[in-house]
Amino acid sequence: MEITWEDGKHTTYSAEQLRWACPCAECRGEAGAPGRLARVKALSPEELLVRDVTLVGQYAFQIAFESGHATGIYTFSYLRGLRAKV
Amino acid sequence: MMAVPSSQQVLDVLSHIQDPDLGRDVVSLGMIKELDVSPQGKVSFTFELTTPACPVRDRFKSQAQDLVGDIPGVTGVDVRMTANVRPAFMRPKPSEILPGVKQTIAVASGKGGVGKSTVAVNLAAALRKSGASVGLLDADIYGPSVPAMTGSKQVPEQVDGRLKPIEAHGLKLMSFGHIYPGEQPTIYRGPMVGKAIEAMMIQVDWGQLDYLVIDLPPGTGDASLTLAQAVPLTGVAIVCTPQDVATDIAVKALQMFRKLNVTPLGLIENMSWYVCPSCGHRHEIFSHGGAESAAKRLGVPFLGAVPLEEGIREDADLGTPVVISRPESAGAKAFEHIASQVAARTSIQSFRQLPVINVH
Repeated sequence: MEITWEDGKHTTYSAEQLRWACPCAECRGEAGAPGRLARVKALSPEELLVRDVTLVGQYAFQIAFESGHATGIYTFSYLRGLRAKV
Repeated sequence: MMAVPSSQQVLDVLSHIQDPDLGRDVVSLGMIKELDVSPQGKVSFTFELTTPACPVRDRFKSQAQDLVGDIPGVTGVDVRMTANVRPAFMRPKPSEILPGVKQTIAVASGKGGVGKSTVAVNLAAALRKSGASVGLLDADIYGPSVPAMTGSKQVPEQVDGRLKPIEAHGLKLMSFGHIYPGEQPTIYRGPMVGKAIEAMMIQVDWGQLDYLVIDLPPGTGDASLTLAQAVPLTGVAIVCTPQDVATDIAVKALQMFRKLNVTPLGLIENMSWYVCPSCGHRHEIFSHGGAESAAKRLGVPFLGAVPLEEGIREDADLGTPVVISRPESAGAKAFEHIASQVAARTSIQSFRQLPVINVH
C-alpha cells in the first residue's frame, strides 16, 4: 500500500506491517487488559491482506482486511510515524 | 493606427494581479476566461472568482481594468465578473456522502450560549446574498434553533424515501427541529446523536450546493467527532464571546478540530460590544478583543466581531436573519464581512490535496 501525502512525499507499507500496527481497542487492549495482538503469535493469511481503505474525514484511513477486521482507524500522523520506525 | 495587442500581452499584464488569499496570480489560477481582443482594440474577458462573496472583488475589477487599459492600442476594456465555487480538496471523485456539495463549513464554539446558531444562520444568509447556493444543516440535536431563527417550522416532505430540505430565505435548511417539532425533547445517548447527524447528511436531498454551513452543538464530543469523520470538512469557524471563560473553551474546540486535521478558518467574536440606544454609549459587557488575541496566539485568522444588538435577537425570534431584515445595521455589516472572510479562507482549501492511497 502506498500513500502520497499532502506535501507530495510517498510512503509504502506492507499489509502485514499495517495489520500488526492496528490501533483499535480490540487489538491494542484497553483498560489495562492486553489486546489480541499481544496474545497471538501469528495471524492467518487472510488477516494479512488489505481489502479496502477508506478516508475518515480528513485525518485518518480506515483499513479493512480480508478477514473482515476493519475497526482500526489509522491517523495520518500515526501512519507517518510507522514509516519512520521501519 | 496603433497595433492591437495580443491575448498573451493581456494575460501578461493581468498576471500582475495577485490573489492575496491564494498567494498566486489570477492568470495561473485560471480565473481569466473567454478572453477576446477585437480588431478595433476592444478587450473583453470573464474574471471568474472562486467565491461570489470574494472580499477583493471590486479591487480585482478595477485593477484589471486599469492594467489592461494601459496597454498601448487598447481602446476599451469589458470585464465580466463571475464566480464559480470550486470543490474543497482536489479530489479525484466527489465524496459519497454529500456528493453535490462543494464546500462544507462547520460553525462550532465549545461553549454554549455564545450565539453559534445566530452566526451560522447569518453566515449562510450572507453567503446566499452574495449569490452562492447555500444549505444550512442544524446538527444541534438537543437544542435545534434553526427552525425558529429562520421562521421555517414546517415538517419536511419525503420523496422516494429521502427528505426534501425546507426552503426559506433562499436557503436549504434541515434541522432536527423540523423533523420533530413541538415541545418534546430529543433524549439521545451519544451513538444516537452520531446516527442522527449522519442521517441528516445522507437521507436529505441537498442537491447541488456551493456551501453547506453546519451549525454544531456546543462541546467537543459526539456530534463534532461524527461530523469530522463522516465528511472531509472544508474548515471550521469558531464562535466565542470576548470574556476569558468563553475564549478558553473556544480554544479547546479549535484544538480538537486541529487534531482531526480540520482546518480552522478562524475565530469570530460575538457580543463584542453594545451601543446603548438611550445614551449612545458603547459598552463592552463581555469585555472586548478576547477572540482576536486568542486567534493571534493560536496563529489562526480573526474573522471579525459582531455587536450585541437588540435587532439581531428580535429578528431571530421573528424568523428572519438580520442580514436580510436590516442590511444596513452594524450587525448585518459585521456578518457580511465575516462571510466574505470565511469564503476567502474556504477558497484556499480548494487547492489542497488530501493524501491519496494506492493498494497494490
